[in-house]
Amino acid sequence: MDILFSSIIAGLLFGMVLALVSLGLTIIFGVMDIVNFAHGEFLMIGMYTGLLTSQVTGMDPLLGLPVAAAIGFGLGVLCYYGFIRYLLRGPMLAQLLGTFGLMLFLRNSALLVFGSEDRVVHHGVLVGKSFDLGMGVIIPATKLAAAGLSVAAFLATWLLMNRSRIGKALTATSLDAQGARYMGIPTEKMNALAWGVGGGTVTIAGAVLVNFWPVNPFVGLLFTMIAFTIVALGGFGSVPGAFFAGLVVGLITEIPGFWDFFTYTFDADWMLNVPMTSFKYMMVYVTYFVIMVIRPRGLFGWKH
Amino acid sequence: MEALKHAIDFSDFPRVDLFVAGSVALFLVLFPFFPHSSFAMATMIQFLMFSLYGMGWNTIGGYGGQVDLGKAQYVGIGAFTTAVMLIRWDIPFWISMPIGMLLAVTWSFIIGYPLFRLTGHYFAIATIATSLILKDLFEVWEFVGAARGLEILPFKYQSPDFLRLIFKEDVYYYYILLGFFFIGLLYVNWFRKSRLGFYLRSIKDNEDVARSLGINVHWAKIKTYAIATAFVSLVGSFHACYIKNIEPEDTMSLDLSILIALMAMLGGAGSLWGPIIGAGILLPLKSYLKEWFGAKAGLVGIDLIIYALIIMLISAFEPRGIWGIIEKIRQRRRR
Repeated sequence: MDILFSSIIAGLLFGMVLALVSLGLTIIFGVMDIVNFAHGEFLMIGMYTGLLTSQVTGMDPLLGLPVAAAIGFGLGVLCYYGFIRYLLRGPMLAQLLGTFGLMLFLRNSALLVFGSEDRVVHHGVLVGKSFDLGMGVIIPATKLAAAGLSVAAFLATWLLMNRSRIGKALTATSLDAQGARYMGIPTEKMNALAWGVGGGTVTIAGAVLVNFWPVNPFVGLLFTMIAFTIVALGGFGSVPGAFFAGLVVGLITEIPGFWDFFTYTFDADWMLNVPMTSFKYMMVYVTYFVIMVIRPRGLFGWKH
Repeated sequence: MEALKHAIDFSDFPRVDLFVAGSVALFLVLFPFFPHSSFAMATMIQFLMFSLYGMGWNTIGGYGGQVDLGKAQYVGIGAFTTAVMLIRWDIPFWISMPIGMLLAVTWSFIIGYPLFRLTGHYFAIATIATSLILKDLFEVWEFVGAARGLEILPFKYQSPDFLRLIFKEDVYYYYILLGFFFIGLLYVNWFRKSRLGFYLRSIKDNEDVARSLGINVHWAKIKTYAIATAFVSLVGSFHACYIKNIEPEDTMSLDLSILIALMAMLGGAGSLWGPIIGAGILLPLKSYLKEWFGAKAGLVGIDLIIYALIIMLISAFEPRGIWGIIEKIRQRRRR
């Protein structure tokens, strides 16, 4: 039972972090129909920002959050005005490959600057601390903080999208860009804002993720793929969808834990021989594929 | 016979194109007789491999307009079939290659059927997902060497081994691949004029109209996907014999899938020459950038930065590729 509980809780917590990672992607996709391959690289930049602010200034990595958000916002807006604006005129294939080029560029720039070795945060208020809930459930403080931040960010984004003028303008842009332009909405600025918010949320996610995940220039790809899965699962452009899909994917990554639970419960020897940990991320892709085929717009999708 | 006539009929291209294509073909045939470094030879072989990948991708991605970013899984199927058969049962390349192709095509039908119910971004990401699923499976499958991969030991065989395709000199590989290259080119030339080719172009222009004209859109896409797969799997089998050391990480990675689509797009997707032009420019660029900058201390990654900037520039300012630029110039001159 202990394994079951701790797996569920670990899965939910990690799922919230993953949801935060994919929030930016779903905003960007919702507003302008472009899939951003460089998303994981934004995350990597956020992770390095969190790491470096703590190493250079000696402060806690959590204080890197506003810095990371500012850098992510700036980078997103810069990418939009400098590059994505031109990409949007081309066909879908060119957009995909263009953002792939951006990803290669960011990844290798990081490689050039930081080198390829793994880096870890060693000090900090939260690092290494944990809460024991009894029943064998131990929650690392870093993960709890990350999950709390994720919930806060989702609430803020939901309020922004549904309760403010800017959010309504963003939604209008995503529903019908030309119509929105006729209504006097500066769609160009809205697109840039979407990229800024998208970049900002993902770098925040990076800055909290670095507390419990080692960072290197190649860390982005795994998270890009997971974020794609979450966004597609929740439905491209749906903010609540991304949150629930994140929880689902988080639970799926904990499948090895559930597998252990059943192995011990049924005392089944053959189950020991299945290398479940290696199938962890494969399960995510399988789920994506199956759900897409059954429900091609995702769980909460309204665009196609 | 009719098909063969169509395959060797290039008469719908302007004479300049045919002249350029002919001289390039002549250069390719004569290349080993020019003085060249072994690095140049390796680059040429890579170029031929990637043009074949690109030609295969071009059938579904270029003519059909379906953004397929999961071709690497079929490279893996082809490569691992050949390697496993050669190492375990000593089955020569010319038998294992068609078997690998058959396996890859079967797999492509199995996943193609659900896959083509999706469109747009959903389809593109689903192709990536299928490719990664297969890669993860191969990485734990002991029979194919798991994550370590397989290694064909060349000293076990007598060097010019035309059955198993084990050679010491790259020239043999070059000519065999060049043969495949010309056959592939003729096939695509036939394909674009075949009924399926016309179906696909109408699907690319407007899927609903194509369906209303009585085209079975779903089935046409699946069939073309299988054709593209056959190309890619063939080169995968060749890759196993040529590189001799294959791992899931480099034969089935996302980077390879995207590189295949990238080269076809940069050359000009949906045209006969596009993938060849794309591979001919991008591949030497990549290899030589790596050769010049890759080894310099303190500059790790600078070659890929330059490469990425070129990709970004082309996809932002000329999304129809180099062939698109040529066609634009021609249209302007015609006016």
